[in-house]
Amino acid sequence: MTHRRNTYRINYVLVSAFIVVVIASFVLALILARDLTITYVENEFASRKVEVLEYNIGPFNDFFQNRIPEISFYQGYLDSAGVASYADSVLQTYPFVERIVFYDVALSNSEYIDYGFSANSLVVYPKGVYQFSQHNKPDSQSTATNHTTQLPLSLSDDFNNMAVKFAAFIERVDTTKALRDDDIFKVFYSVTPGKISYMNIPRRDDLKTYKELMYRKHLHDAVYEQDILTYFIDPNKLSLKNTVPELYQHIQIQPLVYESIDTDPDLFTTETPLPGALADYKIYFSSSRPFLQTEINRRFLPVLAGVVAIYLLLAVIAYLIYRNLYVNKRMFKLQYDFINNLTHEFKTPVSVIKIAGNNIKSAKQLSDNERIHYGRILDEEADRLNNLMNTLLSFTQIENKSIKMEREEVDLHEFCDKVLAASKIKYGDLNIQCNVDAKRTLYIDPVLLNSIFQNLIDNAYKYSKPDNKVLNIQIAQTKKQVTMRFADKGIGIAKKELVHIFKKFYRVQNQYNQQGSVGLGLAFCKELVNFMGGNISVESELGKGTTFIIIFPVD
Amino acid sequence: MEEWRGKSVNMVRHIVFWLLGMTFTAFLGGCDDHKARIIPVEDFFSEPEKTNFKISPNGKYIAYLNNYGGQKNIYVLEPDKVGQEQRITSETELGIQSYFWGNDNELIFTKDKKNDSLQVFAVNRATLAVRHLMPASSVKLRWISPKVIDNGFLISLNERDSSVFDVYRLHTDACKKELVARNPGNIIKWFADLDGQLRLALASDSVKETMLYRASEKDAFRPVMSNSFRNSIMPIGFSGENKNHVFALSNINRDKLALVEIDMETGEEVRIIYSHPDVDVDNGGYSSDRGEMSYATYATWKQQRHFLNKQTEEVYQAISQKLDGYEVSILDRDTARTRFILRSYTDKDPGATYYYDITEDALIKLADNSPALKDCLLAEMKPITYRARDGRQIQGYLTMPVKAKGKKTPVIVYPHNGPSDRNRWGFNPEVQFFANRGFAVFQVNYRGSTGYGKEFWSSGFKEWGGKIQDDITDGVRWLIDEGVVDSSRIGIYGAGFGGYSALHGACFNSDLYACAASYSGFANLFTYLKEVPPHLKPYLQMYYEIIGNPESEPDLIKAMSPVFHSDNIEIPVFIAQGGKDSWSTVNETNQFVQKLKKRKIPITYILREEEGRYFRNEENRILFYRELGAFFDKYLK
Repeated sequence: MTHRRNTYRINYVLVSAFIVVVIASFVLALILARDLTITYVENEFASRKVEVLEYNIGPFNDFFQNRIPEISFYQGYLDSAGVASYADSVLQTYPFVERIVFYDVALSNSEYIDYGFSANSLVVYPKGVYQFSQHNKPDSQSTATNHTTQLPLSLSDDFNNMAVKFAAFIERVDTTKALRDDDIFKVFYSVTPGKISYMNIPRRDDLKTYKELMYRKHLHDAVYEQDILTYFIDPNKLSLKNTVPELYQHIQIQPLVYESIDTDPDLFTTETPLPGALADYKIYFSSSRPFLQTEINRRFLPVLAGVVAIYLLLAVIAYLIYRNLYVNKRMFKLQYDFINNLTHEFKTPVSVIKIAGNNIKSAKQLSDNERIHYGRILDEEADRLNNLMNTLLSFTQIENKSIKMEREEVDLHEFCDKVLAASKIKYGDLNIQCNVDAKRTLYIDPVLLNSIFQNLIDNAYKYSKPDNKVLNIQIAQTKKQVTMRFADKGIGIAKKELVHIFKKFYRVQNQYNQQGSVGLGLAFCKELVNFMGGNISVESELGKGTTFIIIFPVD
Repeated sequence: MEEWRGKSVNMVRHIVFWLLGMTFTAFLGGCDDHKARIIPVEDFFSEPEKTNFKISPNGKYIAYLNNYGGQKNIYVLEPDKVGQEQRITSETELGIQSYFWGNDNELIFTKDKKNDSLQVFAVNRATLAVRHLMPASSVKLRWISPKVIDNGFLISLNERDSSVFDVYRLHTDACKKELVARNPGNIIKWFADLDGQLRLALASDSVKETMLYRASEKDAFRPVMSNSFRNSIMPIGFSGENKNHVFALSNINRDKLALVEIDMETGEEVRIIYSHPDVDVDNGGYSSDRGEMSYATYATWKQQRHFLNKQTEEVYQAISQKLDGYEVSILDRDTARTRFILRSYTDKDPGATYYYDITEDALIKLADNSPALKDCLLAEMKPITYRARDGRQIQGYLTMPVKAKGKKTPVIVYPHNGPSDRNRWGFNPEVQFFANRGFAVFQVNYRGSTGYGKEFWSSGFKEWGGKIQDDITDGVRWLIDEGVVDSSRIGIYGAGFGGYSALHGACFNSDLYACAASYSGFANLFTYLKEVPPHLKPYLQMYYEIIGNPESEPDLIKAMSPVFHSDNIEIPVFIAQGGKDSWSTVNETNQFVQKLKKRKIPITYILREEEGRYFRNEENRILFYRELGAFFDKYLK
C-alpha cells in the first residue's frame, strides 16, 4: 500500500467519521433547541403577566392620573350639576367606577356653624353630599343632606378622613414654599382598597388664606369652597383582556386570597396583584400542559427549520468540496496518463536508436545498404524525438503566452500548395484535396498556421482506416472571416467525447492512438487558434468522419 | 521643510490674529456697521444703569439712580457743572426703591423691601446725612402726593389692617406720622389738593365707583357721584383756578373718555376740555404745582398731544426742533419751567433721557435708554387696520424684520396682556427682539382692549374664549391674505392674557399656528377667578361679568380654559411659569405639561419656583428670552 501514499486517495474512514459527527451534532442541536424552547416558554409564562397587567390597568391609570386630578382644575367651583356631568362621563368611560360620592365642602371661620370638622377657628363642613351611581345615570340619585341633619355615618367617614388630613396639613404647611409631590399624595388623595378620595388642590394663596382662617387672622367672615370626591371602585368590573393569549389559557380577576382548588398537576398557574385602590384583587392566570405544549411546538418549529437549514447548507458545502476534489482527481489522472504516454513515446525512438547504434557498433563492416538503412533510422527517430519535444515546448510556450507572433501577409493558395507537397512526401497514402476560394491574403503567423495544418493532417491520417485515408480541405473567404474546413472520412468521434477532445491530455480511447499520442494535438491547435484570435469547432459522426472548422476573422 | 512649517504656522497665527481683530472691531463697533446682525438677548432686556432722573425744584440738581455695590443708589449731578456727579447714598444691602426731591436739598427715599419691612428715609444732598423719617414696620406704602408742603407729605399705609390703606401725613421735621383719614375699607385712591390737603377719595366696591369729596380736611367726606364699573371717571387733580373743581377723564354719558372739569360741590361736569371722536383721551399734562392742564394726550395709531397751554407748546416745539424725528415727552421739570428732563423714542430707537434748559436752549444727553441697542438697525412698526368677521374694525401693528428668514417672512402673533390694555406705537424690546431674529411681529388691539371707548372695551366681556380670539384669528387671516408672510410659519406668543390666547390658539387653532408660547398665561380660568377672595363679592361680580361665572356657568369657563383641552394640542408648545403666580398654579401647569409630554408633543417648560407672575430676576429673564428665541428659531424655521 506504500505506493498509495504518493497517489490520489480517498479515506473512507474519515468521510464516515465526518458524516457521523455531523448527524450526531444535528440531533444534539435539535434536543438542545427543544429544551431551551421549553424553558423559554415556561419563563415567559411567569414573566409576561406584567404585560397583561399593564394593559388591563391602563384605563384605571388613565382614570387615576388624568380624570381624578381634573377635579382640581375646577378650583372648588363644582356644584352638584357640574359633578353630575363629570360623573356621567367618568361612569360611562370607566365601568369599574361603581359610584361617586361628592362632598361639596366649605371652609369657613364663622362661629355659627355647629357641625362639620373644626380645627381652631377653621370649620370644614359639607354643604351637601351627593351620590352618583351607574344604575340610575339619568337622574343621579342625590341624597343632599340638610345642613342640620347628621350625615349617614357610612358617608361621613371619607369626608372626616379627608377633613382631618387637610386641617392637619393646613396647620403645618409652609405657604412660602411650593407644594411637594408627596404632600399632594398624602393630603389630597386617600387611596384604600375599593375606594379613592380626592380633594381639589387649592392654590398657594388659598392655603395661606386657610391658615389665616384657622388662626383667626382673617378679618372677614369668609367661606371658601373645596370639593371632595370619593370614587368607589369595583375591580371585578375592570374589563379584562388577554393580551398574551398564546401563553395564558384563562385569566381572571380574583380576590387576593383566592387559591385554586384544582389539583390537576398539569395546570400551570401564576398571579399578579392589582395596584392602588384595586389592591385586594389580583389577576389569576392559568394554562394546561397541552395548551403550553402547543405553544412550545409552535415556537420550536421555526427553530427546527433554522437548524435544518444550517445543516442543509453544511451538506451543500460538503458536496461542493467533494466535487472540487473529484475534478482535481481527474486532472491528476490525466497528467499521470500523459507522463505515461510521454515516457512511452520517448521510449520507442530511443530504443530504436539504441538498437541501431548497437548494430552499427557490433558490425565489423557496414555495407552501403546497411549504412543507408541505419542512417535513415537514426535520422527518422531523431526527427521524431525532435518533433515530440517541439510540440511539448510550443505547447508550454503557448500556454504561458510566451510565443511571439510574427504575422505577415500569407497567400493562402501558395501556403496550401506548400503544405500539400510536404504532406504528400510524409503520408504517401493520404489523399488530400485542397480547394482554396480566397481572393485576398491573410495576415497571420505562417509558422503557427502551419502547425495547425500539420496537426489536423496528422489527426486525419491517424484516425482513418488504411483503405480510406481521405482529407478534404476547403478554405472559403467572406467579408469578415476566413473559414477552413478539414473533413476526413475516418472513424469519427462519439458525441459524448466531442466536448472533451480539445482538453489537455485527453485521448479518445481506441486502437488508433495506442502509440505516438500524448493527447496534446487538438489542445495545442485550439490554443494556437485562440491565440491568433480565431475559433475552432468540430462536427463528427461515429464511423463516417470528422470535420474540424477553423474560423479566423479578417481584420 | 522646517522653514516652510515655520512660515505656515506664522501664517495661521496671522490669520487667527486677523480674525480676532475683526471680532473685536465688531464688538467694539456695536451696531455701527448697520448690518442686520443678531443682537444678543441681553442687549434687549438688560435694565439700563441710570434710571429715574428727577430734577430738583430749583432746577439746579438732577438726581438719578445708578448701581453701586450691586444696588441702586441715588446720585446727584449739577447740569451747570458738567461731569460733576456725586453719589449721595451708600446702600449695599438693599437698593433704593423710590425717591423724590423733598426740597432743593433733601431727597426722601424708600429702600427695597426685605421681609415686608418698610422704612422711609431722607438724605441731604450736600452733607449726605441720612435721617430716619419712619421706623421699620411690616406695612406697604403707597404714595399719594410725593410733594413736601409745610414739612409734611401724604402717604397711605396698610398698618391698621393689611387689606386697607389709611392716609397719614409724615412730618419731615418731627419724623412723625399723623393719621389724616381712616379708610372705611372701600377707598382705593386718595387725592390731595394743591395745598397738600386730602380732599378727594375714590371709593370702589369694584362694580361701582364713588367719588367722595370734602371742602377741607376738617369736614367729613361725602359721596358726590358714583358710576358702575362699565363707566369710568378718573380724577386727575384739583384745578388751581377753582378750589372745588377737579380735572378728570370721564366717559359718563359718552363712549370715549374725555378730559373734563367737574365741580365737586355738585358733582356736575362743568366743561369738556378736550375729547377725540375715535379714541379715549389719556392721562397727561397735569401740573400738580399749578393745578392746570397743559395738554391732553390720546393715542390713535400713535401717541398724540393736544396742547392747552401756549408755554408748554412752545417748550415742546423747541425740543422737537432739537430732536427731529423723535417722539418726546417731558418727565420732570423745575418749578420755574425753564429746565426739563425729557425722554425721546421712536419705534426703532429706544431713545435717550435728556436735560433741556429752555433759556439757554441747551440739550444735554443724560443717558441712553438701552445703550447696547444704540445705532442698531431695528425694525419699523407700522399701524394696520382690518375688519373682523362681524365687520368690527380692529387696529393693530405689524413689524416687519429688516432681514427676513427665507422668501416669505415667518410671523409671531403677539396678543397683548390684559385684555384691558392696548398695544401702542413705540419702542418695544420684545417686538424688536423677535424682529431682529427674522420674524415679523403682529399685534392687534382686539375687542376688549382699552383706549377705543367703552363700547369696544365691553364688547370683550364674556368673549375671552370667543370673539376676542376670533379677532386675533381674523387678524392673522387678514395678514395671510395680504401675502407678505408665510402662512405655514406662524407662531403665537403672549404673556398673561396673551399667553392665554396663545394656549387657546394651540388648543383650537392648531392648523393656523405652527407653535405657541405662553408666558404665565392663564391656563385655567377657574384658577384665575379664584384669585379674587370670596368676601369681595362685588368685585367677584365684576369678574363674573367680564369673564363668566364659574358657579352658574362652569361649562363656559371649562370650554375656554386651555387646561381642559390639552388633548386638542398638536403643535409644539412653550410654557414659562413662575412658582408664585397666583393666577395659575404650578400643579396645574405641571399636569398640563405632563399630558402634552405623554402625547409626544414637543414642549419647552421653564419653571422658576422663586418667581412670581413675571420673571423679575434679570438672569431668569434673559434665560427666558433666550429659550423663547430658540423655540421660535426651531419651530418657525
